[in-house]
Amino acid sequence: MTEATPAFLETTINAALILVSGLCVLCGYRVIRGPTIPDRVVALDAIATNVVAIATLFALLTGRGLFITVSLVLAIIGFIATVAVAKYIIEGEVIE
Amino acid sequence: MRTTARAIVPIILVVSISLFVEGHNLPGGGFIGGVLTTTAFAIIYVTFGLDFLERGVFGRDPDAELRPTRERVVDVYRRVFAVGLAIAVTSGLAPLVLGYPFLSQSFVVLEGVPLYDHLEVASALAFDFGVYCVVVGGLLTILSVVGAE
Repeated sequence: MTEATPAFLETTINAALILVSGLCVLCGYRVIRGPTIPDRVVALDAIATNVVAIATLFALLTGRGLFITVSLVLAIIGFIATVAVAKYIIEGEVIE
Repeated sequence: MRTTARAIVPIILVVSISLFVEGHNLPGGGFIGGVLTTTAFAIIYVTFGLDFLERGVFGRDPDAELRPTRERVVDVYRRVFAVGLAIAVTSGLAPLVLGYPFLSQSFVVLEGVPLYDHLEVASALAFDFGVYCVVVGGLLTILSVVGAE
């Protein structure tokens, strides 16, 4: 950031980064051990959302606007992946 | 799903165009713009099916032709791919004719443009446009050929 980041804001963002990263690891456990395919899909979608959150927090921490773009693109692609898998599970084919 | 697609496809297209245009001095450029455009088309395919693009956008009746409809759309995508490759190669080779190294770039600052007043036109935009066409054509070819199976 151009102006100095307040100390409490930096601490909060660091704590949030650690929290979201831990959530990613937990979701990774569900991806690997998930008994059914929908479990794995939901876990992967949660991981994608967590990565979007990490990118946004990193943009807040460093003040670089490009990470906002990164999170935007990741959110769009994650949404499409989730929709495609949901349609595959329900109807058996993605593009008819 | 159809309502969502109607809402988000224009937004994705605008984001992809902005990423493509700002690509010469900010992160972004032809590749990621092309990928986002392809995702917009992917949403249309997933939501409305493969025939919608031909029937609704190009105004053709896919059932009236003897050839399968997908091949005609795929032909358009292949042509986009080839044209993009030609543009990229030509813009890379053009500086060689003028005596500069391969792929060297320059830019022109236009003053007094309406609505913007100050506009930088970079020659990298031509190369980026080629990359954009290659990415859109290639990915859409893959998407419609694999999706039709």
